[in-house]
Amino acid sequence: MNLLKRGGPIPTKIAHMLAVLFFISLPAVVMPVFAQNSEILPENSFWLWSFLGRLHPMVVHFPVGLLFVALLFEWIARKRKTDSFKSTIRILTFTGALFSIVAVILGLVLSNTETYGSRLLPIHQWLGIATAVLACCTAWLYTKNQRLSYAFLITTVLGVTLAGHFGSGLTHGDDYLSSVLPGADTTENADANGFVLASYKGALSPQQVQDFNIQVRTIFAHNCYSCHGPVKVKGELRLDGRDYLMKGGKHGPIIMAGNPGKSELMRRITLPRNHKEAMPSKGKSLTAKEIATLELWIKQGAPWPEGPEKSLFRIATLEPRLPEIPAATEKLSNPIDLFVNSYFQKNKISWKAPVDDRIYMRRVYLDVIGLLPPPDSVDHFVLDPAPNKRSLLVQQLLTRNHDYVQHWITFWNDALRNDYSGTGYITGGRKNISKWLYTALLTNKPYNAFVKELISTDKNSAGFIRGISWRGTINSSQSTEMQAAQNVSQVFLGLNLKCASCHNSFVSDWKLDDAYAFANLFSDSTLEINRCDKPTGIMAGRRILFKELGAIDSNAKKEKRLKQLADYLVQPKDGRLYRTFVNRIWAQLMGRGIVEPVDVMDNLPWSQDLIDWMAWDFAASGFDIKKLIFSILTSATYQLPSVAVKEQGLIQASDFKFSGMMRRRLSSEQFTDAVSKMIQPVYEDSMMAVIFLPDDIKTTIPFARASLMKNDAFQTILGRPNRENVSTSRNTQASLLQALELTNGSLFNQTIKKAAFKWKERYPDPDLMVKEIYRNTLGRLPDNREATVARVALGKTPSSDAVEDFLWAMTLHPSFQLIY
Amino acid sequence: MKANWNRREFIRKSGAATMAALVAGAPLAGMLSGCANKKKMVNSTADTVILLWMAGGMAHTETFDPKRFTPYEKGMEGNRVLSTFKPVPTALDGINFSEGLESIGSVMNKGTLIRSYVAADMGHILHSRHQYHWHTCYEPPQTAAAPHIGSWIANLLGPKNPVIPAFVDIGQRFTVGEAEELKAFHTAGFLGGEFGPFMIPDPSQGLESVRPPVGMGAKRFERRNQLYNDLIGKGPAGEFGSDYQKESLRRSMEQSYRLLNSPEAKAFDLSLEPKETYDKYNTGRFGLGCLLAKRLTEQGARFISVTTEYEPFMGFDTHENGHTRMAGMKQMIDGPVAQLIKDLDKTGRLDRTLVILASEFSRDMMVEGKPDAKVQEQVAQPDILKDIKFYGMHRHFTDGGSVLMFGGGIKKGFVYGKTADERPCKTIENPVKIDQLHQTIYHALGIPEDTQYEVEKRPFYTTPDGKGKIIKELLVTPPLKVV
Repeated sequence: MNLLKRGGPIPTKIAHMLAVLFFISLPAVVMPVFAQNSEILPENSFWLWSFLGRLHPMVVHFPVGLLFVALLFEWIARKRKTDSFKSTIRILTFTGALFSIVAVILGLVLSNTETYGSRLLPIHQWLGIATAVLACCTAWLYTKNQRLSYAFLITTVLGVTLAGHFGSGLTHGDDYLSSVLPGADTTENADANGFVLASYKGALSPQQVQDFNIQVRTIFAHNCYSCHGPVKVKGELRLDGRDYLMKGGKHGPIIMAGNPGKSELMRRITLPRNHKEAMPSKGKSLTAKEIATLELWIKQGAPWPEGPEKSLFRIATLEPRLPEIPAATEKLSNPIDLFVNSYFQKNKISWKAPVDDRIYMRRVYLDVIGLLPPPDSVDHFVLDPAPNKRSLLVQQLLTRNHDYVQHWITFWNDALRNDYSGTGYITGGRKNISKWLYTALLTNKPYNAFVKELISTDKNSAGFIRGISWRGTINSSQSTEMQAAQNVSQVFLGLNLKCASCHNSFVSDWKLDDAYAFANLFSDSTLEINRCDKPTGIMAGRRILFKELGAIDSNAKKEKRLKQLADYLVQPKDGRLYRTFVNRIWAQLMGRGIVEPVDVMDNLPWSQDLIDWMAWDFAASGFDIKKLIFSILTSATYQLPSVAVKEQGLIQASDFKFSGMMRRRLSSEQFTDAVSKMIQPVYEDSMMAVIFLPDDIKTTIPFARASLMKNDAFQTILGRPNRENVSTSRNTQASLLQALELTNGSLFNQTIKKAAFKWKERYPDPDLMVKEIYRNTLGRLPDNREATVARVALGKTPSSDAVEDFLWAMTLHPSFQLIY
Repeated sequence: MKANWNRREFIRKSGAATMAALVAGAPLAGMLSGCANKKKMVNSTADTVILLWMAGGMAHTETFDPKRFTPYEKGMEGNRVLSTFKPVPTALDGINFSEGLESIGSVMNKGTLIRSYVAADMGHILHSRHQYHWHTCYEPPQTAAAPHIGSWIANLLGPKNPVIPAFVDIGQRFTVGEAEELKAFHTAGFLGGEFGPFMIPDPSQGLESVRPPVGMGAKRFERRNQLYNDLIGKGPAGEFGSDYQKESLRRSMEQSYRLLNSPEAKAFDLSLEPKETYDKYNTGRFGLGCLLAKRLTEQGARFISVTTEYEPFMGFDTHENGHTRMAGMKQMIDGPVAQLIKDLDKTGRLDRTLVILASEFSRDMMVEGKPDAKVQEQVAQPDILKDIKFYGMHRHFTDGGSVLMFGGGIKKGFVYGKTADERPCKTIENPVKIDQLHQTIYHALGIPEDTQYEVEKRPFYTTPDGKGKIIKELLVTPPLKVV
């Protein structure tokens, strides 16, 4: 008590020490305040700040203890009505206040030297600062013997308690305290997947072992795989499989089955957040529920289900499904519309009025044959009173077989990476399939036969699975057999085997072994499995990716195996094949798939019923591609006004809501053909890739269509892919390089120049010329203001230059370039 | 989005209006999703890169790494011949170049000479495959379309001056043999066409790419643009409303108009160069390409590639008459390369411009591929030389090679790596691989080592798996050690 009585000098000394401490820590506290978001902060801070920061959890207990004891003395003093504790309380509040300041400083240092993502941090920080201020006030009030001092002391203690609580939340997780309360035991509450931890406490059924295991693996996957998985293996520890888990890392085993208390894993994940051995070392701590789940799982003996692991990823159903068609309504009868109608009802979206005849006609022309409608036909169509004129139009367009092929061959060339020039041809390492493809589309080959012939090939259709080989040696994940496996699975099944052709995939359940077994079907000899291009000495098996589809006779010759594969893949029970296909066609016509991206068919569709029904109906009605196109184009859904978005990314957003066709841009081929047909041919017949095309091709074309040209700089810039890889969607955003090409590129400007002469001769009257140009490009007449602009630009007797410039401007008009 | 830091930096430097236009064409959805790469930006030492491409396989023993000289004698034994030119001294003590490269030798005090480039083993050699590998850092074929290094840089840093295309490629025509294979790497791949090369096959015609169409005067060009804007502006009010496609179309048109009308476009006009300078560079298309590169650098280019042009069996692709043709190639490159370095240095631009001179691999008279991994021979080379056409380096050699680097934070007067003095003249010290070269270039530009995009859910890094190592020895200021 001597010390306390002497009072004066000691607090002064403490104050000095504090001042020194404060100034030492100043840079660490203040600097980050200026470096907002700490982006310019060096990766590693000076050790002293880290050290001081980590003193915070220790130092905070001083004010807690001191202030509590002060309150206790005050309470006793009041009860006994004595003044004898006065100086004690004064000293307690004074030192408590001092330590609370120290704690605040150290806390600020800590929060700036280590990463805390929690939303609790600001609460804790400001409560701490407020409490320190309160503590100082309290101490001051006690020295002045103020009446309010007791109330202040109580408030301060409350503040300390609360700040402490949030601090513990920061260190041990948000629900550190509340989670152990009987009423609020979150571990007993079912989560979104209906998982209730308590139900795993007794003996477990095989199903429970399975479900429990998924919970555990999900925790590891979300929190640990990034450092302890197949990519990085820190501390020689992997957590992505039973054997790895049981083996442990370089410091030995991490799990002692049945004994969580002795399991290193549990120790690490329950260490305070700022402990250097705490796990995860980056990011946030596990939640109390996650910790409880792992604890119980270890206690239960770390059970692992027998047989194949169940997936952590969403996997779409393989089987086809026939959903019940909603009852027809007064206005709707096409099942597509009925499914969309119930989707609209569920999402509170209302039907808008269908687009007018001009827009509809422009759309279906571009979608069926890739050309703009002739202006006279448009006028005729608009005046036609027949109620079913729209479906008649689509029907009639679909019978224009060559026009249809010359449009759709572009879609297929992209998907099947078939081109008239490209790598591989130079050394015979690539085969063109254009003749086969042209005929298949011309005869509307049923899709099942179409797929079959591309897999179980004859010499004309062999190119797709033959792949592209360059001279020399290549990475084993790019062998032609592996290319076949990747491309068949991507194009026909909407799944990505590219990861798994090098190592077990991290984003799906496909394993290296699966990819090789599939690739091995395309191989004459047996493939040796290579992991990340290193031979493993293990020979691949032979099986189809979805075993349910049938077993391949692995001893059979390649031809026979591929025939088996083709037969299995196109069975109606392979719902995935047909969902993938109808989704691609839908995306092509509507600007966005029911599932997106169209190559990831495991993603959730915006309407499961719609895609299931369409796939079912497609298979049930003879795999008829044109019929599928017909049913979409004549649906009320297709006739809805187009939907505009501000950013391209929104089209693929996961919370996308369908409300109509997405606005599209003319493809490079559509644009070129539109110019060729309406204004002036861009290409000459002699520039077509005739050697790859049917012998009579020149008699079937209206003009040299872009889809039949070898790729050139003009097409490339407008977005035609180089078809070295499968390409199932194109970027439709305009770019500077495109604008430059269209503004001063010679092919385009020469074309427009030629056109000007022709148009000038044909229409000596400028007003008529403007009308005709509008009708041909935009499918309508100019309005008054447009006509005025045109009249001024062209003058009474237009020069060829003026006509040229006018034509040029019209071809770059957004209303010409977009599909509305 | 990953590329945030540089975009932000970029916004700060250029006008807001220009920026709106440029950022608009940022990577696309669907194929790409930019992803978190929180590594802080490294301090850059260069803003511009000029790649001088010695297309066709430049023999190191005939250029920057000469060995014992053996003059031609009829009936001599081929195996005796290591170099067909005399060595000549350079600005660096004890370092010789091959005769004919005196000018470049005289500027070596301003740069680094790497004598240990080792090309990949890719079996039976095809030039375009090795060139693909050099330019993309990935061996073809790939499951995703790999971007050219120039496209990566254009994507990550954007143009330095908004009206000069970020990636300009000078000198390569696609009308030559192996054109399809050349096209396969002259591309932005999955990054999207916007970041692809702006091709100028003939530097003397460069201006035509950036001015109004041939035969269109400035007045008419302006009128045409005005007409375009009027027609859209005066169309039925808000016809179909606005959306990203319409916006991107209008913006790109506006930007294109500004570029074609901008004073900076004069940088493409070589005729504006004083005759004296023009003549110093004018050794043909390559020399003029160097001059164009200089002019574009002065106006703020980002990445420029100038090539001697690849055409099978032409240029450095010497399957016969190696000695004679090499003398010609040296004449083509020696003056312009040295002049480019001098000119950049004189104006101080060399400090922030990284110039690299490289080739897909080297050549040797005897060895095809690597001495211990020989591949299928492509040239019939007699053991006894009875004709001078057999005197030269005619086979493709991948186990050694020279690279020059100047400016942009690279050491001056420094030599790195070594090849053996006797056949096989292979790398015996500090081998340098392509991913190290790329990483060093990215580092100089301030692009973090683990920069990546997610393509079809898989990370695609600037160097395979992000594993390319910076060659710290080459840097004036080695990177700080990050733990």
